Amino acid sequence: MIEIEDLTFQYRESDAPVIEDMSLSIPSGAFAGIIGAAGSGKSTLTYALNGIVPHCYPGDFYGSVRIDGNDTCDTTLTDLSQMVGSVCQDIDSQFVSAVVEDEMLYGLENYGVPHDQIEGRVQEALEAMGIADLRQRLIASLSGGQKQKVAIASILAMRPSVLVLDEPTAELDPASSRNVFALLSHYAEAHGTTVVVVEQKIALLSEFTDLLVVVEAGRIRFAGAPEEVLAHSEELLEIGVNCPRCTTLMNRLAAGGLYAGPVCTDVPSACRALCEVAA
Amino acid sequence: MIEFLDVHASYDGTTPILKGIDLTIEDGEFVAFVGTNGAGKSTAMRLVNGLLKPDRGAVLIDGVPTTQLKTSELARRVGFLFQNPDRQICSSTVRDELLFGFQAVGRLDDEARRRVDQIIEEFRFDGDADPFLLNRGTRQLLALASIVVLAPPVVVLDEPTTGLDFCECVKVMGIISQLHRAGTTVIMVCHDMEVVADFAERVVVMTDGRVVDQGPTFDVLRNRKTLDEADLVPPQMVDVSLLLPVMEPRFAGTSVATANTLAEMQAAIEDVAAGGAAAMAASEKDALDDVPFQGSERKER
Repeated sequence: MIEIEDLTFQYRESDAPVIEDMSLSIPSGAFAGIIGAAGSGKSTLTYALNGIVPHCYPGDFYGSVRIDGNDTCDTTLTDLSQMVGSVCQDIDSQFVSAVVEDEMLYGLENYGVPHDQIEGRVQEALEAMGIADLRQRLIASLSGGQKQKVAIASILAMRPSVLVLDEPTAELDPASSRNVFALLSHYAEAHGTTVVVVEQKIALLSEFTDLLVVVEAGRIRFAGAPEEVLAHSEELLEIGVNCPRCTTLMNRLAAGGLYAGPVCTDVPSACRALCEVAA
Repeated sequence: MIEFLDVHASYDGTTPILKGIDLTIEDGEFVAFVGTNGAGKSTAMRLVNGLLKPDRGAVLIDGVPTTQLKTSELARRVGFLFQNPDRQICSSTVRDELLFGFQAVGRLDDEARRRVDQIIEEFRFDGDADPFLLNRGTRQLLALASIVVLAPPVVVLDEPTTGLDFCECVKVMGIISQLHRAGTTVIMVCHDMEVVADFAERVVVMTDGRVVDQGPTFDVLRNRKTLDEADLVPPQMVDVSLLLPVMEPRFAGTSVATANTLAEMQAAIEDVAAGGAAAMAASEKDALDDVPFQGSERKER
C-alpha cells in the first residue's frame, strides 16, 4: 500500500514546488497509471515513491510518503530499494552488464540473496516477461522491446512489493507496448505486486489500469477508475491529455443526448454501445 | 523525387535488413512508414539520406544514386531528424546548434545568421540556452528547428513524436504539417496510427525488410488483413468503422462504413440515429479540424 499525504516537494535550484499538496492512496495490488503533460511532476512523483526524493535530491520536502507503512524519509534508500523496484525512462542508463544473465544476477548478488534462491528467481522473472530464451544474449544485440523486458525482468527478480515504471513503452511499437503491459499486469496479479506506471499512451492505461491519476502542475487533477476519469474528456484535453478517440466520440454523443451509458474506454465497448444507439 | 530500386541493405554486409525494396516518393508528398520494431523502417530512412548505402540496387535522389552524391550535397537535399534528439544535438547553445548545419555545409554567412535569428523567434527559443538543460519536448523541437532552418527540399523524420506529451506532439506535428504545405517532401516513420491517419497522404507498410502494402492513407489503414499480418492496429475510428457494420446490419451501407475520422464518425452515427436515409457524405478529410491537432501557423514577416 502506498500512502501519500500532503506531499510538497521543491528542488533546491527551482523557484516553485514541482509537487504541491498531493495526497493519494494506492491499495496493495493495484495497477495505477499516471498521466499528465511534460513538466507536470510525474517523474518527480516516481522519485518520491522510490525514495530518490528526498534521499538524493536536495530540496524542500513536506508531508509524507509511506510504502507498506514505512515512511520514505525515515527509511534508508537501501531498504526502500528492496520494497520499490524502479525501471528508468532511459533503460540503456539502467543496464550495468553486457549479457542478460549477468544483468539479472547483479541486483540479486548485491543484495545478498541466498545462493540457492538465485536460479529460481532469475528463471521465474525471465519467464514472467517471456524472454527465457534471451538469457545468454548480449544486451546490445536486442531490440527495444526485448531490452525493455530485460530491464523489467531484472527488477522483478528482486520481488519488490511495489514496481514503479517511467514510460516503459515510449520507444516500442503498439504490439510490443501492449505485450509489455499484458505481461506486467499478469505478473502483478499473480504476485499481488502494486504497479505504478507513468505513460503517455492513454489507450494502454485505460485498458490495463484500475486507478488512473491525472497530474497537472504538481497537483492531482483527477484520480479514479479509468471510466470515471475519462468521462472528463474535454477538460482533460485542456490540460494536455488526449482521451482515446472512441472515448471522445462516445462522450460527444452523450453530450448530444444520443448516449447515456457508461464511459467507453476501448473500441469493443464503444462498438457495443453504438449498436445500442442504433437500436 | 526519391526512388528505391530493388534495394537490399545490411549493416554488416551479411545480415540482410532490407530485402528488395521498390518505391517512388514524389516531390511534395507526405509519406508515413509503419511497421513493428525491427521491420526495417529506420534502415530505409538511413538510405534516403545516404547514412547507409545499399548492398544491391540503388537509391536515387532526383535521379542521382546516393553513392554518387557527396555527404554535404545529400545533407543539403535531405534533412534528417533522429528518433532521439540527443543523438543529434552537439552544440552548447541553442543558437550554435542552429548555426551548425550552415557551418557543416560551408554557408556560415550573414544570411545564415539572419535565418537562425528568425527561427529562434518563430520557435520562441532562448538562443543562449544550453540545449541539454531543455526538457525532452523542447530538445525535440530544437532538433527539428535545426533542420527547418536549412530549408531542405526533403525531410526524413524517424518517429518525431516519440516520448512527447500530447501538447508537444501537437506542436511538432503542426510544424511538420506547415513544412509540407509549403512544399517540402515529408517522409516519416511513426508508430502512432492516429498521427499517421491525421497527417500522412500515403502509407507504406513494412514487415521483415519488405514493403507489404502501400497506397493512399485510408486505403491502407482500412486493409485489415494486411495490418493484422504486419501486427498493426488501425486508428480507432477506422477500427470502429470496420467493426460496426459487421456487428449491426443497420450500419452497413451507411456513411459509418466509410467514416475515417472522429468528425466523420460522429456525423455518421448522428445520422443513423436520426434515421436519416440520406447518410451524410463523408466530409472531406481535414485532419486539423478533426482532432485536437491544432499547430500554430508560421507568420510571414
